[in-house]
Amino acid sequence: MTDRRRRFEAQALPHLDAAYNLARWLARPPLDADDIVQDAMLRAYRAFDSVRGEDVKPWLLTIVRNCFLTEVGQRKRKQDVPLPADSETELADPALIAGDPDPEATIIQMDTHRELNDMLAALPSEFREVLVLREMEELSYSEIAQITGAPIGTVMSRLARARALLKKNWHLSAEGSRHVMQ
Amino acid sequence: MSCNEDLRLQAYFDGELDASAVLEVEQHLKGCTDCATLLADLEATRQLIRQDAPYHRASTALQESIVASLDREEGVQTPSPSRLSFSKRFLSGAASGAGATALAAALAFFLYLPQADPLAGDLMNAHLRSLMSDHLIDVVSSDRHTVKPWFAGHTDVSPPAADFVKEGYKLIGGRADYVDGHRAAVVVYRHGLHVINVFAWAASTEKLPGEVTRKGYHIVCWKGADLDYCAVSDTGMDELLDLVRLIKQQ
Repeated sequence: MTDRRRRFEAQALPHLDAAYNLARWLARPPLDADDIVQDAMLRAYRAFDSVRGEDVKPWLLTIVRNCFLTEVGQRKRKQDVPLPADSETELADPALIAGDPDPEATIIQMDTHRELNDMLAALPSEFREVLVLREMEELSYSEIAQITGAPIGTVMSRLARARALLKKNWHLSAEGSRHVMQ
Repeated sequence: MSCNEDLRLQAYFDGELDASAVLEVEQHLKGCTDCATLLADLEATRQLIRQDAPYHRASTALQESIVASLDREEGVQTPSPSRLSFSKRFLSGAASGAGATALAAALAFFLYLPQADPLAGDLMNAHLRSLMSDHLIDVVSSDRHTVKPWFAGHTDVSPPAADFVKEGYKLIGGRADYVDGHRAAVVVYRHGLHVINVFAWAASTEKLPGEVTRKGYHIVCWKGADLDYCAVSDTGMDELLDLVRLIKQQ
């Protein structure tokens, strides 16, 4: 095994799930998260000699995001068919939903997962990506700025707006379901 | 929508403020109910996403396909041994992993649920906190005769702090930290570009998570004679297990 390969397996591949999670939250069908991540990992491997250890995760996610944007551009040029709306996405793998012995609780929990998934998917993508990077990947403002190519101030205000919007939508939907029940 | 004060509060919530700004915000929070409400909202939104939003993990098929493309890139014709070790490493449960056998031989470690373990989460947070702020090291030294006595004066326990520079693990210092209710002494190593935090606290009856991988960070815990130990790093699992073996042998 070459030294680069060894370093790549030790430093970059541990972030594969993070890469895939980001790709899934960015890409809507017919774009394929697997293709994007496959492409991104190969590009990352080829350029790996240029990166320092501590910076691997944001660097890798930057590549994933760029591969996603490239795919979007190619598809637009090729077909000129609009991509489906963000909300037309299926719920994630049922395996992601924790097993619960109480069927009623399971249904409520599945509803929560589905509803939140749809709500996140319906957010404008620049809001969705900062939420994924901050709340799921726990990246710092400067790392998110690096990945999205936006100034830190913009990252901060996007994050604030994304959080406020998600909170508002979540409360509205909770109120809505209470009305239905009454 | 978001005035500067809101953004500052958000930065406080995200751990992005320096110590003096943190104090200011905390003073302000005591007298401002609006900000206290906003802070609670931020926390609620975070909990909602972390608990209920799907986190998409790469499938085994994708992992294998990536490894195959790396093999092609390297010009490897036959399936290489690396492929096997890689797949094993990334199909990680608490008990899997290439180093598990080696570890089991060297240590009495305790398997525990890797997902729902608050200790593992707390360890990872403590590790990340140490990298993000200027709080990696309280006492800078590559000399065990400096680090170990420093612990005696600053923490409840005084774990061994040997340097393994010849084996590639350089002792760079020590730190006092607080993990999951334990006052911990932390021995800090550098391995290549990676920082490895080795937490130690007075032995408790608490179960330890054994070997866990979370979001690319590896955690290895074991019980010593009178101390509980947990090593955390984003270096490879095998490298981390190597260091654990060295510590165990000293």
